[in-house]
Amino acid sequence: MISCQKLTRRFGEFTAVDQLTLEVDKGEICAFLGPNGAGKSTTVNMMTGLLPPTSGEVRVCGLDPTANSLELKRRIGVLPEDLGLFDDLTVEEHLLLTGDIYGVPRAETRARTSQLLHALSLEHGRRTFAAACSHGMRKKTAFAMALLPNPQVLFLDEPFEAVDPVTAKIMRDLLQSVSRHGVTVFLTSHILSMVERIATRIVMIRKGSVVWNSSAGELPQALEDHYFDLVETPVVEELEWLGPSRS
Amino acid sequence: MARPIAILRSLATAYRRDWTALQSLTGNNFFLLTVLLLQKAGTFVYLIMALVLFFPLSTDPLRKVPRSRLALWPLERREQWILRLVSPWLNPLTWILAAGAIWSAGRTISAGVWVIAGVFFAAAFLLSHIPTPGRALFWRRVPGFPGPLEQLVRKNLREILSTLDFYCAAILSLAVLAWRWFGPPLPHEALMAMTVLTVGALSSYAQCLFGLDGEGGLSRYRLLPVCGWQLLLAKDIAFLAISLMLCLPLAPLAGLGGAMLVLAVGRVPAIQHPREQTRWRFSTGGAIGNGIVQMIALAMTISSIFSISVLFLAPAILIWLGSLWWYGRDLDRRR
Repeated sequence: MISCQKLTRRFGEFTAVDQLTLEVDKGEICAFLGPNGAGKSTTVNMMTGLLPPTSGEVRVCGLDPTANSLELKRRIGVLPEDLGLFDDLTVEEHLLLTGDIYGVPRAETRARTSQLLHALSLEHGRRTFAAACSHGMRKKTAFAMALLPNPQVLFLDEPFEAVDPVTAKIMRDLLQSVSRHGVTVFLTSHILSMVERIATRIVMIRKGSVVWNSSAGELPQALEDHYFDLVETPVVEELEWLGPSRS
Repeated sequence: MARPIAILRSLATAYRRDWTALQSLTGNNFFLLTVLLLQKAGTFVYLIMALVLFFPLSTDPLRKVPRSRLALWPLERREQWILRLVSPWLNPLTWILAAGAIWSAGRTISAGVWVIAGVFFAAAFLLSHIPTPGRALFWRRVPGFPGPLEQLVRKNLREILSTLDFYCAAILSLAVLAWRWFGPPLPHEALMAMTVLTVGALSSYAQCLFGLDGEGGLSRYRLLPVCGWQLLLAKDIAFLAISLMLCLPLAPLAGLGGAMLVLAVGRVPAIQHPREQTRWRFSTGGAIGNGIVQMIALAMTISSIFSISVLFLAPAILIWLGSLWWYGRDLDRRR
């Protein structure tokens, strides 16, 4: 469903993504892991047609995202890094907008909107403007927008950040449910405990290059340990001024 | 005293930046038109602009500190009082009003004027403290437009309603409405001139159609499976609907034709040189040259439709449709 062959993106002298090759099958939940600035968002932007690659090839649903941008956008749902919400629309209006734009019949849009608002505990804030929403509410709204048109592939950038544990569990269950129905999920996350529970494929990236790519069952050790070994080893420094004496 | 001084210093910086947003006025077609063409005769326009600006500038500077942050800071009661008493003086309007009051002491007529201004200021100052569920309620009632672009049109209408341009144009339109209702008959040409002024007051917004969408909105536009012309159409429907509504007491068809030309001429800065805008300020255009062309096209279209024939609306529509198609493709390339 997602195929990248030697995908590369350069910004001047800086190589953000370097010769990335990966395959994600239909119905898989692929977790794309790496530290900040590793090239995750650049990769997602190339997969969703927002950024053309410098070289290499990417196919999503069998389409070239650069050449068939509009057709691809109709088939995918995206939770972007900045959520992509309009300050002047309410939570509910964002979902109605999505239904209208993706050609979902109005009655069906209303039904799906009600179900999503209920499932994500957004009913109480359905008439709140995005500008007045908490970050968690904004995240849930953008997540609901990605799901509403029933896409073939879901791209989710940090879906579990800033949401409460119950909503995170609901989101996780929803993603597992859609993947059982054949929807491919490609997500980035820093919450490794959540990734460990949900992902069927793990891809790790460091400085633009893939350093691990396997099914979740093939990990040789706990995900966190493996991540620290391959991607980034935490260094804890003692801050001597932190303590009981105050200045 | 160190804590209140630190807070007041930060507040002053924030307030100074807020006032620099007023420089948007200098890139506004309506202001430029008045300065260049009407000059001293444009006093009533300056008054309208000052009136429209008065309310957003009268807010309490202390509101710039988030309420939760203010509550969390370890401030003593005395320090809170200092902040409360000193912060209003960060607003230059407070100084202007105080100077006016001192100057007019003993002169009953001008003192009355200053009292009215002071009451307006105090009202706006106090109103800025009241939570405004009413505004959210009003905003939610803004109608959409039947069809797949309904929510986008609704959002765009809300954006236009949060610029001062709209309120300037609304005051002009309502003034003519009141005059036609209660005053002697207006000369024929006056309607045309007021239509030019009303659409002219809105015209700068046509140069910065995407200025209030923010990063989130622009990112969503890139993700939506719609063509560029559809995004432009949603913007245009909102602009034309507002223009038509405000021109109803004036010359509606001429106003509509003028608004279409204003949109067509404003495409280049709106799409190729987008400028971020600030809410509750005047829209600021991309370039003076474009603003002048917009105003000339506006005046010519309105005078042709109004004075010669309504058939001149047809070329205005064609030019607008052509710009929609051409710049829609341009927008697609840039998305």
